[in-house]
Amino acid sequence: MNELIKMGLAAGVMAACFVTASVPADAFERRDGEKILVSAQRQAVPTMDPSVKYDASIRTMQQAMYDGLLKYVDTPPRIVPWLAESFDVSADGLTYTFHLVKNAKFHNGDPVDAEAVRWSFERTLTLGKGPAWMLNTFLKAENIKVVDPSTVSFTLDRPFAPFTSFVPWWYIMNPKQVMANEVDGDLGQKWLVENEAGSGPFKLARVEQGTLYELSRVDDYWRGHQGKLGGIIYKLIRESSAQRAALMRGEADLVTGLSPDEFDQVAKAKGIVTSTQPALTAFGIKFNTQGKLTSDLNLRKAVAYAFDYEGLVKIYNGRAVLQTSPFTDAILGKIDVPGMPRKDMAKAKEYLAKSQHPNGGIELEYVYVQGLEEERLMGLILIDSLKDLNITVKMVPLTWANMVARGSKVETSPDMIAIFATPVSIDPDAVAIQYHPSSQGAYYGVHYLDDPELTKMIEDARFTTEWEKREPIYAAIQKRIVDLQPEIFGMMRERRIAYRDWVKGYAYSPVRMTEEVDFYPLYIE
Amino acid sequence: MLRFTLRRAVLMVFMLLGLLLITFTISHIAPSDPAALAAGPDANVAMIERYRVEYGLDRPLYEQFAIYLQRLLTGNWGKSIHTTRQVWDDLVSYFPNTVELVAFSILIAVALGVPLGVIAAVNQNRATDHIIRILTVSGVAMPMFWLGLMAQLYFALHLGWFPLGGRIEMMTDPPEAITHLLLVDSLLRGQFGTFAEGLHHIVLPSVALCLPALASIIRVNRAEMLETLKQDYIVNARAHGLSTFRIVALYALKNAMLPTMAMIGLRFGWMLGGTVLVETVFDWPGIGLYAVQAAISSDFEPIMGATIVLGFFFMMTNFVIDLIYGILDPRVRTQV
Repeated sequence: MNELIKMGLAAGVMAACFVTASVPADAFERRDGEKILVSAQRQAVPTMDPSVKYDASIRTMQQAMYDGLLKYVDTPPRIVPWLAESFDVSADGLTYTFHLVKNAKFHNGDPVDAEAVRWSFERTLTLGKGPAWMLNTFLKAENIKVVDPSTVSFTLDRPFAPFTSFVPWWYIMNPKQVMANEVDGDLGQKWLVENEAGSGPFKLARVEQGTLYELSRVDDYWRGHQGKLGGIIYKLIRESSAQRAALMRGEADLVTGLSPDEFDQVAKAKGIVTSTQPALTAFGIKFNTQGKLTSDLNLRKAVAYAFDYEGLVKIYNGRAVLQTSPFTDAILGKIDVPGMPRKDMAKAKEYLAKSQHPNGGIELEYVYVQGLEEERLMGLILIDSLKDLNITVKMVPLTWANMVARGSKVETSPDMIAIFATPVSIDPDAVAIQYHPSSQGAYYGVHYLDDPELTKMIEDARFTTEWEKREPIYAAIQKRIVDLQPEIFGMMRERRIAYRDWVKGYAYSPVRMTEEVDFYPLYIE
Repeated sequence: MLRFTLRRAVLMVFMLLGLLLITFTISHIAPSDPAALAAGPDANVAMIERYRVEYGLDRPLYEQFAIYLQRLLTGNWGKSIHTTRQVWDDLVSYFPNTVELVAFSILIAVALGVPLGVIAAVNQNRATDHIIRILTVSGVAMPMFWLGLMAQLYFALHLGWFPLGGRIEMMTDPPEAITHLLLVDSLLRGQFGTFAEGLHHIVLPSVALCLPALASIIRVNRAEMLETLKQDYIVNARAHGLSTFRIVALYALKNAMLPTMAMIGLRFGWMLGGTVLVETVFDWPGIGLYAVQAAISSDFEPIMGATIVLGFFFMMTNFVIDLIYGILDPRVRTQV
C-alpha cells in the first residue's frame, strides 16, 4: 500500500510539472529575438517544386520563396509587374517581350537574368507537370529567347489573349543551383521537393514533413520588406476546432481552415481580426447533359427553378453570395445574366410538363464528396426542393478520387454532381473553357456539354487579342451557358479569414485558392 | 521452442505476401485514376499519360505487382505519385511516432486496466464494480474522435495543462535520429528538456486513444478474474488463511492474465492501424494519417508500404504474445 501511495505522489508531482510547464502562450513566437509568424493550415506541402505541382498549400510556400515575372494582387485582382518591370506585345499579338528588373538576386546571390527566366519556363514545359497545361498548347520552349541579360521574349504559336494571366503562376528558379543538384537527368526534381532555388522574400529554413515548414526572411530581398518579420512557420493543424483553439491561445497568428461555426465563435473573441472576402470559387451542381434523364433541357430547367437557392446561403450562415452569371464576380467581363433561375415552382412545373417526364416519378442521383458536411446539406436541400415535382434524389457520397473517376466518362458521370471550381486566373477564358468540349471529363467538365454555337464563341474569344472585341463575346457566352443550364448555378462562398490583431499587412486577393496565403506583405507589430 | 519460432517466422512471410496481394488487388479495384489525380485537376491528357508511364501504371496489373515485389526485395520501396517523396523516408519519419503513441496508450491501458479489472472482480456487484462498469461501457461506446476533441478543448484550451497538439514545441529541434523514436532519442542524446516536452505532448492523444483498449482490458480481466477466483486452488488458498491481497495478486492474477495478454496484443496491433482519428485531432505526425491520405488519393506505393509495415508489426505483436503465453503457461510450451 505504501508503494501505491508513493506512486500516487510521484504521479501528482509529474502532473504538477506539466501544469507549470504549460503556461498558455499569449504572444507570437520568437527566434533569435526576431518575430516569427505562425500560420496554421490544414494541408501538407508535399513538394515545393514550382514545375511539378501547385495547390493552395504548395503555392502558399512557392510564392514566399519564388518570384514570377508578374504577380496578382488586390481585390478585384490585378496583375502587377514583378521580376519584369514591364512588357510589350507585338502588333500581331504573338510576341511578348519582358524587361527584367536589374536588382533581383537569387538567395545564393546569383542575379536573376533572362537566361534564368528562359530556363525556368523551359523546365516546366519539358517536365510537363504542374502548371505546364496553362501554356504548353501554344508555347514551345525553343520560342523563348534571351534577347539580352535583362530581356526575354516569348513567341506564341498563335495569338492567345489569356497568356499574361497565367504568367504569375510560373516561378523563376536558379538554373545553376538546380542543375548542380540534378540526379539521373531529373532536372533537379528530387532536390526541389524539399529545397528551393528562388529569389523570393523568404527562404526555406526547416522542413518537418507532416508537422511544419519554416521560412526565414531574406534580408536583402530585392523588393525589400515592409515590417521586420524574422520568418514564418507554416504549421499543420488539420481540425477546424484545433485551429480555433490555437488561434485563441495565440499559438497560431493566422488560421485558414475554420468551419462557418468556428469562425462565428472566434469573430466574437477579443484580439482577433476576422473578415469575409469574396472568392473566385463557384459552387454548382452539374448535370450530365448527355445522361439518360438529364440530357432533357426541360428537366434541367425544371430542377433549376425548383431549387431552394436561399437554403444554399443559409448553409454558410449567410456568408455566401448567389451567382448571377456562370462567371464569378472577379472575372473580367462578368455580367449579370438576365433571367438567372431562382426558385419559382410555377416555372419549374411548366418546364417539367414540357419534359419527357411531365409527371416526375423519376429518381436523380446526386454525387458529392464524402465527409463534406456542406455538400451533404446541399443534397438535403435538393431532396426537399424536388419533392413537389415528384422527383426523388438519391444521395451518393464518394471519395474525391472516386467521384472524379466516375465523372471522367460520359457513361458513368452521374445525373448531378456537387462541384466547387476555382479558375486559375481572372481572364474570362479560365471559366469559359470549362464549358468547351475539351474540358469534358475533367472535374469541372462533368456536364459533358457540347454546343457548337458556344464552342465557336469560346474559341473566337480566346484567340482574339483586343479586349474591346472579346468583351461582347463573353457577354454572349454567359447568356448562352445559362440558356443551356448545364448546372444549377449556385453560389460564391466567402472566404473566412481570421488572425491575431498583432498581424499586419494581410493582403487578400480572390484569385488565390481557398487556403492560399500570400506571406510577403505580412508582418507583426 | 526453436522449431515453433521458425515455423511461425516462415508462415509470417507467406502471410505478408498474401496481405500484399490482397491490398494490391483492393487498391486497384477502386475506380479512381492515380495518374489523373497526381497530374492535377487541370492537366491535359498528355500530362496524365506522362505520369502513367513514369510510374509504370500503363503496364498490366500482374506486371506492376511483379515489378513492385522485385524492387521491394532490393530495398526500394518506391515513391509516392502524389507527393513524389520516397516511401521509405516517409515510413521512417511517420511510423515511429505512431509506435510511441500506441505504446504509451497501451502502457496507460494496462497500468489502469489490470488493477481496475481486479478491483471490479473482487468487489463483484458492489458499487465499485458498477462504477467501473459505467466507465468501461462508455469507454467502448464513446467515439475516440469526439473524446479527443473534448479533451483538447478542456485540458488544452480551457485549463492550459497540455499542448493542443503536435509532437514537440514548434521551436524545438528534434534530436538527431538514432532509433527515430523521439522519446528514446532525446534521452539517448541527453536532451532531457525535449524528452519532457515529448512526454507532455503525448499525454492527451494517448489517453484519448487508450480508452477503448482500457475498457476491453478491464472487462476481460474482470471476467477472467471472476472465473479464476472460483477455482479450487483459490478456495484452498483461502482455507489456508492466506491474505486476500496475496491470493489475488500472486495466484489468481497470473492465471487470469493469460486472456488479458492476448487482448493486449490484439489491441496493440489494431491501434497501430487505427490511430488516424486521434492523429487528425492532435496533429500527430503518424502513419495513420499517412496511410489514409495515400488510400484516398489511390497512391499505390505508399499504401503498399504502410500495409507491409503495419501488417508486419501486427504479426510480430501476435508472435511475441504467443511467446509470452508460453512463458506464463507452461502447458503451451509442452504442447508445442
